[in-house]
Amino acid sequence: MPEEETLEEGTLTPLQPEIQDPLLREILEENDLQADPSRNPLEQPAPLPDPTDEVDCVVIGTGAGGAPLLARLAQAGLRVVALEAGPRRDPTKDYATDEKAQNFLFWNDERLSAGHNPVAFGKNNSGTGVGGSTLHYTAYTPRAHRGDLTLHTDFGQGVDWPFQIDELAPYYEEIEHFLGISGPTPYPWDPTRRKGYPLAPLPLNGAAQLMERACGKLGIRTSPAANAALSARYYQEGIGWREACTNRGFCQAGCNRGAKASMDVTFLPLAESYGAEIRADAYVTEIERDASGRITGVMYEQHGRTVRQRCRNLFLCAGAVETPRLLMLNELALNSGQVGKHFMAHPGMQVWGTFPEDIRPYKGIPGGLISEDTHRPKDADFAGGYLLQSIGVMPVTFATQMVRQRKLWGQPLRDYMRNYNHIAGINILGDCLPHASNFMELSDEKDARGLPKPRLHFTAQENEQRMNRHAEKLMRQIWQEAGATDIWAFERYAHVIGTARMGRSGDDAVVDPDGKAFDVPNLYICDNSVFPSALSVNPALTIMALSLRTADKFLLQRKAAG
Amino acid sequence: MPHYPEGTVRALLETDLVTPATRAALEARLVSQADYAPQFFDADTYQLLRAVAARVFPQPDRETPIELAPNVDKRLLEGRADGWRYDAMPPDREAYRLGLGGINQAAQAAFQQLFVALSAEQQDVIIGQLAAAEAPGENWQEVPQDKFFEEMLAELAESYYAHPLAQEEIGYVGMADIPGWTKIGLNELEPREPEAYG
Repeated sequence: MPEEETLEEGTLTPLQPEIQDPLLREILEENDLQADPSRNPLEQPAPLPDPTDEVDCVVIGTGAGGAPLLARLAQAGLRVVALEAGPRRDPTKDYATDEKAQNFLFWNDERLSAGHNPVAFGKNNSGTGVGGSTLHYTAYTPRAHRGDLTLHTDFGQGVDWPFQIDELAPYYEEIEHFLGISGPTPYPWDPTRRKGYPLAPLPLNGAAQLMERACGKLGIRTSPAANAALSARYYQEGIGWREACTNRGFCQAGCNRGAKASMDVTFLPLAESYGAEIRADAYVTEIERDASGRITGVMYEQHGRTVRQRCRNLFLCAGAVETPRLLMLNELALNSGQVGKHFMAHPGMQVWGTFPEDIRPYKGIPGGLISEDTHRPKDADFAGGYLLQSIGVMPVTFATQMVRQRKLWGQPLRDYMRNYNHIAGINILGDCLPHASNFMELSDEKDARGLPKPRLHFTAQENEQRMNRHAEKLMRQIWQEAGATDIWAFERYAHVIGTARMGRSGDDAVVDPDGKAFDVPNLYICDNSVFPSALSVNPALTIMALSLRTADKFLLQRKAAG
Repeated sequence: MPHYPEGTVRALLETDLVTPATRAALEARLVSQADYAPQFFDADTYQLLRAVAARVFPQPDRETPIELAPNVDKRLLEGRADGWRYDAMPPDREAYRLGLGGINQAAQAAFQQLFVALSAEQQDVIIGQLAAAEAPGENWQEVPQDKFFEEMLAELAESYYAHPLAQEEIGYVGMADIPGWTKIGLNELEPREPEAYG
């Protein structure tokens, strides 16, 4: 917490320190300094940034929401600083091909999961470090469909996005070519695209071949999926050559080759080549405003010190938990009552089976094969739809998920796991409708910094339950057709979406269709929190598209204002 | 069910097919922890956890079993989390204290003895009750036993299958990835991938 006297005149910081008595605070601060010399400013080699130094934009978060716009704003010549809560690492040296050793990639601060279907965080969907969650995303990058943005129009349920897919399409195209997406051309479920994927699809692994074979017999169309991992060496502006994927199957625990298009090897180096500054280990605690409500800067903690960075504009891109948490902690942009509301998570049900074939599920891009025939199933009794994908899996991830579902222990547990090399899975990624009973709040329990831990309530509603039933039945059919025995299903939910929704009116949305906060003149939000609905596809590509679009809208408005 | 030859992962760690960071992570786990002295748990509770872990992952085939309790003790000592917790559960330290205490209560109810004093068969009865969420004991009023069992099981499974010997057991050699993999389709193996027998 900053000391009172360092705060400038006219700056309102609604976040109150835990301890109100100034003398007691001072004593505790001295004690802290004695106990931990690294916190003593005199011991620090780097000089404090000049507190009067004001940059054009501060971007909080360097994942799929923050990195693309950081690059765009830097390219436009603006002075931009990104603040990343996690560290900067060198994947070529620091990453091990070992799941447990890679746990540092995940946002491991504890979140409380409530509701009938408590959502797993950490390795399930929350990252930290320069690159954010893209450091451990699977690299699955399907585009959203036109209908994903018009659920309410089409089904009378959920909400429409405030713009059509045509707004995103040019950005999808730009990103696919910048990142070097490997995928099929033409795309079977959207054959009229202006441009195909820049690289051929990655090769299919065992699970993908099994799914392809069985779906073929059942009349379900499949295709090698679009993945943000290079099927060939690729030249990229601002970075140089990136090497091709070697099928090491480790996307979800970090790529050590730069073949996977995480932000640390794509948009972030591009941003830095245009002068953007990225500060790692910078955990933002406060957002400061003047009396008119305009943001003047942020306070962050870095290496035990509290630092202020003044800015003319703030881009909040911290993900759908930390973004609303920061808004709530700072009592910012709360007028609509929508911050923290309509938390969504994709139904991600998995079906596993044991096969006579040797599969070795650690090899190849994990999400090798896709089918989008279930985008709008004819026999659906639910709104929206889902995609199907084959899944590769690493042993620790598999074992921990499996025991949670099957509760195997003792000899049966060791016996079942001996089949690991013969086990393959498929899963879905389904749309999730926004619902009032699914939300995030601040709990009374404090984290190590003394800030309230977030509590997330999630209960799969009727629509998600119907979709799950439909998908489980179909996936069991596919795996039976493929020759699997000992088939079992794991109901799970992945991705963190909603909680600061985008809309046309400040009465029911936090940001406008450009990503600008209704309540605050110089605050933009861009990450999965602004999604009005969840989409029936993995969110990363759409977050990146929104990010570039948000930057462009900001630059346009800035130009118009002179 | 497939069995794989012993020594595969250990042999690969000696080669240049494994990166230095990977080797460091795996070799550290090969150091025996049989003499580990608990720092978070008291001695009795630690022995109780060891006894429970030995029934969840029985290892009659190993002269020196893979120790799973030290990682739990170290994690709780350092206060590390994995990013989330069931809201219905107390904080991890409290959950382990209550849950392990509940296991002793169930042992007392069924056999009038502490869990560590029971035979392996009797211990399995208690773990079976816990897995079915039917174990008696007043502590289960404060910690839901199905969630406690799930969390403990997942934590022990993570430690077990992260161990090079357990990876040898299931035929996993994904750590030997410096050359990458070219034979990735069904029934395609590279020379460094062990073939199963039995």
